Amino acid sequence: MLDKSMFKSPNLRLEHGLADGAGLPLVCPGCRREVSQEVFEQEFCQCARCGYTHKMSARQRIAMILDEGSFLELDAGLQSSDPLGFPSYREKLNQARTSSGEKEAVITGLGSIEGRRCAFFASEPGFMMGSMGAAVGEKLSRLFDRAAADRLSVVGFTISGGARVQEGIISLMQMAKVSGAVRRHSDAGLLYIAVLCDATTGGVAASFAMQADIILAEPGALIGFAGPRVIEQTTRQKLPEGFQRAEFQLEKGFVGKLCRRPEQKALLASLLAMHEVEPA
Amino acid sequence: MFSKLLIANRGEIAVRIIRACKEMGIKTVAVYSQADKDALHVSLADESICVGPAPAPLSYLNQQAILSAAINTDCKAVHPGYGFLSENADFADLCEQNGLIFIGPSGEVIRQMGNKDEAKRTVAAAGVPVIPGREDVKDLKEAQEAAREIGFPLLIKARSGGGGRGIRRVDRMEDLKNAYSTAAQEAKVNFSNPALYMEKLLSEVKHIEVQVLCDSQGHSVTFGERDCSMQRKHQKILEESPCVLLGAPQRARLMKAARQAVKALRYVGVGTLEFLLDREGNFFFMEMNTRLQVEHPVTEMVSGIDLVKWQIRVAAGLPLTFTQRDIRSQGHAIECRINAEDPAQGFQPAGGRVDILHIPGGPWVRFDTALYQGYEMPLHYDSLIAKLIVHAPTRQEAIRKMQAALCETVIEGVNHTALFQADLMGEEAFEDGSYTTEYLAGKGAFHA
Repeated sequence: MLDKSMFKSPNLRLEHGLADGAGLPLVCPGCRREVSQEVFEQEFCQCARCGYTHKMSARQRIAMILDEGSFLELDAGLQSSDPLGFPSYREKLNQARTSSGEKEAVITGLGSIEGRRCAFFASEPGFMMGSMGAAVGEKLSRLFDRAAADRLSVVGFTISGGARVQEGIISLMQMAKVSGAVRRHSDAGLLYIAVLCDATTGGVAASFAMQADIILAEPGALIGFAGPRVIEQTTRQKLPEGFQRAEFQLEKGFVGKLCRRPEQKALLASLLAMHEVEPA
Repeated sequence: MFSKLLIANRGEIAVRIIRACKEMGIKTVAVYSQADKDALHVSLADESICVGPAPAPLSYLNQQAILSAAINTDCKAVHPGYGFLSENADFADLCEQNGLIFIGPSGEVIRQMGNKDEAKRTVAAAGVPVIPGREDVKDLKEAQEAAREIGFPLLIKARSGGGGRGIRRVDRMEDLKNAYSTAAQEAKVNFSNPALYMEKLLSEVKHIEVQVLCDSQGHSVTFGERDCSMQRKHQKILEESPCVLLGAPQRARLMKAARQAVKALRYVGVGTLEFLLDREGNFFFMEMNTRLQVEHPVTEMVSGIDLVKWQIRVAAGLPLTFTQRDIRSQGHAIECRINAEDPAQGFQPAGGRVDILHIPGGPWVRFDTALYQGYEMPLHYDSLIAKLIVHAPTRQEAIRKMQAALCETVIEGVNHTALFQADLMGEEAFEDGSYTTEYLAGKGAFHA
């Protein structure tokens, strides 16, 4: 027989990823290549190889768009209760709070972009897919009212599955309420820019997301009211390739311009500069 | 997660797995029977444990002994290889219950695919073509109806049958009545269940299979197909990739079918979907093997992807770091299974001592074996002693390379099939790729 000692053990360490507690590597869902967290964040959560855009948290958006240290959060404590006693809603809320680290599905506040002050909001995709309940509606209405009072433009990043079903009619009412606030802000002659991100759908698409004076969108984002699968099932028709994607909505005139993450800050700053208003 | 792994197998596949582990920095534990104490896998592994006497049921199939060995040596996972316990759902469950990772799909999926009827139902529901047939035929009227639907020739089988019993071939409607009543009678007597199953009899077919690899996050890829039609008594004797008779649109449909099937199954790990390809170019799902295959190197050669390493990685929960688009089959690969059988004596299993061993070499020649010079081969196990795999830019070149390599192979002391295969490669039906699964039995081949 061949003695064990005839074979030397190769001096190799355990392969990356197989060690105890190694944690799973970050893999781009677009091209499946491994990416480092650090590089990834520098690249605006966009894969350098295939261009796949990953979901960004609201805080990551704030860091990407607003000048460092300029953000002042408003109504940070506002959060939804369970007005209808909807089954398992409380648990869902707790879960969303733990996993996202946020109290609600939108973050609002004041800040500046390349030195130009504005009111700012960003949806939090990690919180029940950015769905709109009473607290989200209230935070946004207050932000627009505050912006109207302070004569500030509003810049917002939307990501949402729509109204929050667990709050039923109360959540649907937020569409009208926020729309009212957007109108008051608009009537004051002030600018509102929305950046529609993947995915902006349902009651959010059908209210404040589409009410902006300038509507930008991230390339590839799904934008629409009912999702393509629902439409396909209801109408029993095959939908065209790229239906409801940002490019499609640009062609149909629902979106004014597509803008990639690395260019967003500069574009927003120049749009704000063009529409600069005298302080009241 | 995976610092140490037990290999519940022997022979070339145990060696193949140990090699992958060594490269990955994973410590290995080999198990062996008393007849295998001098086997190569025992020497190559970091630790080796004897799990019983020579007969496989007492050693390589001895689940308790193997699990005890794994637990006592502090292994995190068990690799079953192929054969033995690799498609044993109870063993997969037992591993899980003992906190060990079974490198393969869950017991549930193994069970689901192990039941051929259920497997067909599952993949048919996912839109994959299966052999036309009807389940649960209860009376003659239903049988006639089904026969009209399916067409002749067809097979009538006992639903709970197996081992060829209770199977009747029917070529004409006139013969159906007789065949039906005998089959029903036989089914009732032998399996105490008169329910029958009717299925189209496909003759002159090719055996084509698709390799899949899926991670636990739901991503899956399919590799180019393997043509495993060269068989002797249902045992594959050589395999190649790609299949020369498959056109691009057909291949695309085949790969799509495979992807649909694994998606429906929520499959994790490596697996193979076997299809029959008829003369008209239709393919039908036959069964799924929920394990690594003997012929996996053919796919490794054309894809450049180490399937064993990826099998271990996805079992550890790691995601695939490539997509379908990254998988490009290049050139042509052929594998010959060299068996310790004497072609001159009707392929009688041979044993003996390997007095001289010369392994063929050169570029793109791979020889997977557990033989070494001086090795005394036990007679208790499978007769596969080596796999010779070659890779070349074209099929023609691969055939030449294989013929040359087979002729260079020297295994003195043991009768083997290498030269039989070298001759086979020169036959017309192999050269033009028209050979079917019956080629060696009746020399059946598609004719162009």
